Amino acid sequence: MALTTAPSSTPRATGPVRTPADRRGSGRIWQREGLAGYVFLSPWLIGLLAITAVPMLLSLYLSFTNYDILTPWSEVEWVGLTNYERMFTSDASYWHAVQVTLAFALIAVPLKLAAALGVALLLNRAWRGVGLFRGLFYLPSLLGGSVALAIVWVSMFNRDGAFNSLLGFFGIEGKPWVNDPEWALETLMVLAIWQFGAPMVIFLAGLKQVPTELYEAASVDGAGKIRQFVSVTLPMLSPVIFFNLVLETINGFQGFTSAFVLSNGTGGPVDSTLMYTLNLYIKGFVDLEMGYASAMAWVFLLAIAVITVVLFSTGRFWVHYSDGEER
Amino acid sequence: MHPATPPMADERAAHDHRTLFSRRGLISRLVATAITIPLVLGAAACGGEDEPSDSAPNAPVELSVFWWGGEARAKLTEDALALYTSKHPNVTFKKTWQANQGYFDKLATLTASGDAPDIFQIDDNFLTEYASRNVTLDLTSYKDDKKLDVTKLPESLWQYGVVDGKLAGIAGGENTQGLVYNKTLLQKHNLPEPTTGMSWADFITWAENVSKVTKVPGTMDPSADYKAFWVWLRQQNKDLYKGKELGFTADDVTKWFELWKGARDRGATPTADVIHEGNATDITKQLVVTGKAATSFVWANQLPELKKATKDELGVVAYPGDPSAQWARAALYYSVFRGSEHKDVAVDVLNFLVNDPEAGKILGTDRGLPSNLDVRKSVSEAVTDPAMKLSIAVETELAAKFGPSPQVPLKGHSKIRAELIKAAEEVQYGRQTPSASAAAFLEICKSAIA
Repeated sequence: MALTTAPSSTPRATGPVRTPADRRGSGRIWQREGLAGYVFLSPWLIGLLAITAVPMLLSLYLSFTNYDILTPWSEVEWVGLTNYERMFTSDASYWHAVQVTLAFALIAVPLKLAAALGVALLLNRAWRGVGLFRGLFYLPSLLGGSVALAIVWVSMFNRDGAFNSLLGFFGIEGKPWVNDPEWALETLMVLAIWQFGAPMVIFLAGLKQVPTELYEAASVDGAGKIRQFVSVTLPMLSPVIFFNLVLETINGFQGFTSAFVLSNGTGGPVDSTLMYTLNLYIKGFVDLEMGYASAMAWVFLLAIAVITVVLFSTGRFWVHYSDGEER
Repeated sequence: MHPATPPMADERAAHDHRTLFSRRGLISRLVATAITIPLVLGAAACGGEDEPSDSAPNAPVELSVFWWGGEARAKLTEDALALYTSKHPNVTFKKTWQANQGYFDKLATLTASGDAPDIFQIDDNFLTEYASRNVTLDLTSYKDDKKLDVTKLPESLWQYGVVDGKLAGIAGGENTQGLVYNKTLLQKHNLPEPTTGMSWADFITWAENVSKVTKVPGTMDPSADYKAFWVWLRQQNKDLYKGKELGFTADDVTKWFELWKGARDRGATPTADVIHEGNATDITKQLVVTGKAATSFVWANQLPELKKATKDELGVVAYPGDPSAQWARAALYYSVFRGSEHKDVAVDVLNFLVNDPEAGKILGTDRGLPSNLDVRKSVSEAVTDPAMKLSIAVETELAAKFGPSPQVPLKGHSKIRAELIKAAEEVQYGRQTPSASAAAFLEICKSAIA
């Protein structure tokens, strides 16, 4: 979805910061350097314009039309805010998908971060062979949103899959996890949580940055392990936690591949895995309502932006930067 | 969280609305750009349409052809097209194919970019969608002057490609509904095989007995299966569609759901989650071949494909009830893009694929029985694959009992198919009563075809 590919950083085209005196004295050089900068940037700029900006603008335009993807653009009809109105007032499946997505993000993201942090703490010690474990735990994330992994998941969590065999070994009767509307979404959450490798690696890097003298000082003051974790590790790690939280939240809202594969593109059983993006895909490509799907995409973009802003505004209260600089 | 979100989002939309009209200068320029670009693109896309095509008879022509299917189909199709090139050396082909999954996404995207393939495969799920938006070339005039010869096709088969009076595609093969059963399993337990013409009630009783004796559920639950529902409707003198309307009522759907609720309660079918496995996946996961049911409701020409997934012997009969409710259906169609620069050549290729005896021999029964009856006869005689032989025999036998084909499905058909699965599953999982689910389904159907 094009809406999520906005650039994450703004490149600096003009080199080092100049004083007013510089600018007065060397206008021509500035121009020449600027030009060179833009030339070097041009592949990126062209990519931004052609692959991101223009399609985004077009999709914004389409969201106000009844575009169905098959009709030529010239015959597209402007319908004003009708698509947006329908979404908010009369489309039950839309709100159902919103609920599914929120449930998924609210449960899977915190658990994934907790798992990542927990394992990162374990792997932050100097054991023999700890590197191997770090690699192994990171492996599932490398497979990422791959289709193959989702297929494996489906066969593992079938009624006659490996997971139920394992439960059977302990005398517990399994469930048809992926084929049960009560459990299908939870199965997807487990899949998402299991792929905690990427935030784990970032946590590990963060843990390495915590100065050991803080722990020494704390233990001199008589703080136990738990107290050290709460009073030293967590505050020192908070910028990293914040970073992971924002990233994973955005990721969580965009969950698509696993739901698509698990339900064969339908969001089933009975809409239990109808994630927002999957619903958007179905509206655009199966029901051929690309205008409506575009409107859904723009509301989605706004919603994620709002959530990110909210996260940033709460960050003031719990994120501490070690250099003492308040943000 | 849910009740809180809409007002917030509404406010936001309202806010956008205000700014849109207050900052006229910038916004109107942006909007103008956004409108102009698509207009220019749209104009470019339509450009080819009015140009005279095929001015010089032997000028080199390259046609793009796009179809879904497996590797075996790809090989056969490529061979058939190569044969055409050998007969018309000026015509070459750009061939693209892929699995069914994602095929229509890609076709829609190509069409949107004005770059639809000259010839493409399509099915009755989407034929009306494409035809009603004038993506497909109207083949009527070609049919009338025999450039596209349909005289050897069963009438109801080529008419199944007529949408709003326009011939939107030509059947690439014929198939029909078939009830596939596990012969080996039944024989092992000395159970009778299902027969063509048995009533639905008899069938469910039969299935219940199979479940008891073999411990394998007697039948899949086809309440989510549009084709079973469709045949059942036709047996009550109803139909899925009548003109531009639905041909059934919520009452019919309720009765259908109740029929299967009864069957499930009697143990004639597997549990809801197993039924879902069959509903949600492709032909290789049909319960009759995964060993989770003794029968499946499928298309008869899928038998060879099903046979690949199981060691057991399979048999086919008609769906329960009066078999005259069944019809010869176009398994799929070949259509020509209306914006193609070489329409006449493209139509000639269609004619070749459907009517040429040599091409027919190459293509075999991969897309269903050959549409052309002469070709079908010679191909049937040459077929060696036992599963394919059986499928042909069954279809030939049933064809004598077939009724007329219904009208080609309305646009919105794919949505209705998907919604039937949801509605039926609501009942199967016990989350809704048959009548509540049927009522909700009917509302969605009405808006889907509107």
